Amino acid sequence: MEIKFGGDFVVKKPQQEVYDFLVDPKQFCPLLPDFQSMEQVDDRNFSVKLRVGISHIRGTAAVKMTLAEATPPKSAHYVGNGDVPGGSTTLRAEFDLESATGGTKVIWRGQSNVVGRIASLAGGLLEPLAKKNMQRLIDGLKKALN
Amino acid sequence: MAKARTKFKPTKAKRANAKSSAPTANWVGQPIRRIEEDRLVRGKGIFVDDQKLPGMLHIRFVRSSYAHAKIARVDVSKAATLPGVVCTLTGAEVKGMVQPFIEIGPDVGQKIADYPMAVEKVVYQGDPVAAVVAETRMIAEDAAELVEVDYEPLPPVMTAEDALTDANLVHPEMGTNRNWHGVFEFGDIAKAFKQAAHVVQIGRMHFHRFSSTPLENNAMIAVWDSRSEKIEYWSNNSFPAFAAQFLSPALGVRIDQISMKSFDIGGGFGIKITNYPYMALCALASRKTGGRPVKWAETRTEHMQASAHGNERTFLATRVALDKNGVVTAIDSKHVDDCGAYPRYEPLGCVIWAQVLPACYRVKNIRIEMNQVLTNKCPVGPNRGYSRMQQLWFMERVFDICGHSLGIPTDEMRARNYIRKSEMPYTTPNGCVYDSGDYAGMLAMAKRLIGWDEWKKKQSAARKEGRWVGLGIGSTLDSGTNNFGQARIINPGAPFSGQSKAAIAKLDIYGEVVISMGSVPQGQGHETTASQVVADVLSISPDMVKVKPGFDTEQNAYTGHTGTYASQFAVTGIAAIHGAASKLRNEMSRLAAWALHAKEKDLEFGTGAQGPEVRVKGKKKSINYWALANLVNVNNAGMPEKLWDVTLNCRHVYHAPFQLPDVKRKYGNLTLTYAAQVHVAVIEVDRETFQPKILAYACVDDCGRAINPRIVEGQVHGSAAHGIGAALMENCAYDADGNLLASTFSDYTPITAVNMPDLIYGHMESPSPFTFNGAKGMGEGGAAPVHTICAALQDALYPEGVIIEDSHNTGDSLFRAIAQAHQGESAKMVQVEHRRGAH
Repeated sequence: MEIKFGGDFVVKKPQQEVYDFLVDPKQFCPLLPDFQSMEQVDDRNFSVKLRVGISHIRGTAAVKMTLAEATPPKSAHYVGNGDVPGGSTTLRAEFDLESATGGTKVIWRGQSNVVGRIASLAGGLLEPLAKKNMQRLIDGLKKALN
Repeated sequence: MAKARTKFKPTKAKRANAKSSAPTANWVGQPIRRIEEDRLVRGKGIFVDDQKLPGMLHIRFVRSSYAHAKIARVDVSKAATLPGVVCTLTGAEVKGMVQPFIEIGPDVGQKIADYPMAVEKVVYQGDPVAAVVAETRMIAEDAAELVEVDYEPLPPVMTAEDALTDANLVHPEMGTNRNWHGVFEFGDIAKAFKQAAHVVQIGRMHFHRFSSTPLENNAMIAVWDSRSEKIEYWSNNSFPAFAAQFLSPALGVRIDQISMKSFDIGGGFGIKITNYPYMALCALASRKTGGRPVKWAETRTEHMQASAHGNERTFLATRVALDKNGVVTAIDSKHVDDCGAYPRYEPLGCVIWAQVLPACYRVKNIRIEMNQVLTNKCPVGPNRGYSRMQQLWFMERVFDICGHSLGIPTDEMRARNYIRKSEMPYTTPNGCVYDSGDYAGMLAMAKRLIGWDEWKKKQSAARKEGRWVGLGIGSTLDSGTNNFGQARIINPGAPFSGQSKAAIAKLDIYGEVVISMGSVPQGQGHETTASQVVADVLSISPDMVKVKPGFDTEQNAYTGHTGTYASQFAVTGIAAIHGAASKLRNEMSRLAAWALHAKEKDLEFGTGAQGPEVRVKGKKKSINYWALANLVNVNNAGMPEKLWDVTLNCRHVYHAPFQLPDVKRKYGNLTLTYAAQVHVAVIEVDRETFQPKILAYACVDDCGRAINPRIVEGQVHGSAAHGIGAALMENCAYDADGNLLASTFSDYTPITAVNMPDLIYGHMESPSPFTFNGAKGMGEGGAAPVHTICAALQDALYPEGVIIEDSHNTGDSLFRAIAQAHQGESAKMVQVEHRRGAH
């Protein structure tokens, strides 16, 4: 099942600084909800582990991420895939940056496709959970970049 | 089910638990209690998962979350190092150990490389990609979670219509998703439409996926003995002869190196026929461990995702010609069968439906274009009512839709179109022979049992109150004893035809009558019915007959057709047992004549003071079974040479009287017997919640001469439950990404006793002229409730403009159907053309 989100927000930090933050997994990943660990493979690839769960289905999500497109200081687009408890996921996270009054406007889009047993067991819960986690991530980004 | 009104004939014989001194009686036809029940309800049944062999290991499969994806990487290294893990298997490894399974289909179907484990890509959610073998089931499960698999998702093919476009291919090596195509055309279609008074065109209809979900999932133990190079299976596969024919070439062993054994099986309904890929994997795992037993006990989620589902079928562009009296003269339609990701038992379903081509109706001109496509869904298997129920549902929908469209009451529509009792045996347009039956009589009985006229009055009153109440009829056939020659219509090179079963009857050393069957019972009561038949042959009581449960290639008599499927035990299995028992009786008679210094014609069989015996009529000369067995087995000095061929161990093979069909014309007798069921239901759809509720339900069964009416009634109840569940609750639905949306019983909601309405039951007997005892195979039930409930729902909602076009209906779908009908969608679904002179 496909989940899509998007939005924008303005932060105080300048565009280049926001860009540098978004392409640095060491800075960026700890903001992910229920972050456990991150292992950087090279400049563009890293693996991240997150604690995830819905009701009694709990475990660790291991996701491989790739910085698929990076245009300093305008955009950073990630693609990833990995395993979640009871299924697998592919995801895409895109950040486009524009200068704005008083800082930088971050235009973001997220898309996740969850497949497997989890989709039938907890299909109805996935979207609100993803929305909640996405909001936590955005809140974290705002906090870090303001 | 409390209101069952069973019409048993008066009984003369005593029950099976009566004293052994029961008089000579006709046990066939008596509703004796099932012999198996005592063992099963006391928890003494022996199922595969009960078996614990020394050194036994457990296998756990790692399955794909994706419906369609390339396998980029499989890493089992972490799993392999977990303490307690003995070995692992990957698809690449399996590919090097086996040959792909043979394919039944011709041409492009032969290009499919069906390995028991995904090799380069996964083609359905649940496709096994790796396996872990460990000392305990728990360790295997933990280790399976350590297996890392990288996928590259591909667009899945999720509907029959998508598959037909070939835009994305399930098996690129085929070059198409079309697994089989054929046109079944009989009569003069063009002439019938030209002369029609009415032509009804019906849009897309759809028969949904569901599964009969046996209580016991798939289970097996495999031992690949490296010393003897023999593979021993203890499994719940219900068609072991078929499985062995697939396993032997795949595993590269002679078929006699494969030993199959089963004991008690907790239901099957055909689905377990296709568990042989897992049998192959368990054998390979055993071989890799050096011959240790490897057990696999499937979980429910695995069963739902990756065992087998029933065939899904879509009906397109249907045209129906009728005369001015509402008699259907021709049907022309395109059908697309969706067999999921691998054909396996398919494309046999592309011809098996033709056993019931015209259903219960006299229509002579029929053209069906049949396509079968592959999709990224669980492979299908022969689910109870296999392939025929889809055709029977289609025909019932056609007659209901035409009836409503032309203003002909649905019971009258059937009365005008049913095949008459006087026309039996009836040859269908494609050469099948309906042996006997009285469909109009069955409908009359069903209407009487449910109180049809009273319900019609109640329906009128309810409609005035604004309530949605409908009455529906479902007429269906349960064709039994299939002619495997129909496989040649699918693939002229298929080396199958006919039908046969074997059995052994013997008098053991202490005089016990022991029967070994060539069947694989899963709850059908074979032990009971077999003992009744043998009791009649030997004039003893059924409790004096020991019928060995289960199947064992080392001990049982069997043929290449051996298994339990296609509603046939009462015909083929029983005929084999009857033949073996009759041979045994003849040998006992010859032996007794010598021992008693009498002529065979002066002997009679019965039960005396010393148990079962053979005696001289009118004289006090007799010999009991122990003495007869003693003479042959351990005390045979002095026996005359003319009796040396007497072994008291008699094997009989029953061959069904089939010919090869005419492959070009797709014409011939495809099955031997035709049991029938007519169901009637009254349903109300709640106006607030749109939930359908069954108010009354009657079913009438005719399976020829009933060997045990109690078992027949139980089978009718069971198949009715499956049908009601399928119609209103159970659906193997997928989303657009290929996620199965019902992978647990919480989501699938299989029917239980709580959801069952009271069934009013009636029984008729139209003996088959083609079987020695007049019996017909039964038990599949033809999904009668699916037809009946759809008919009742349409009757309830037709005033709202609703045409029931799907076999699965819930409150949600009915809400949408009513909304669409109010927007005029139904008018597009059905179009009626009245020709000049129609009225």
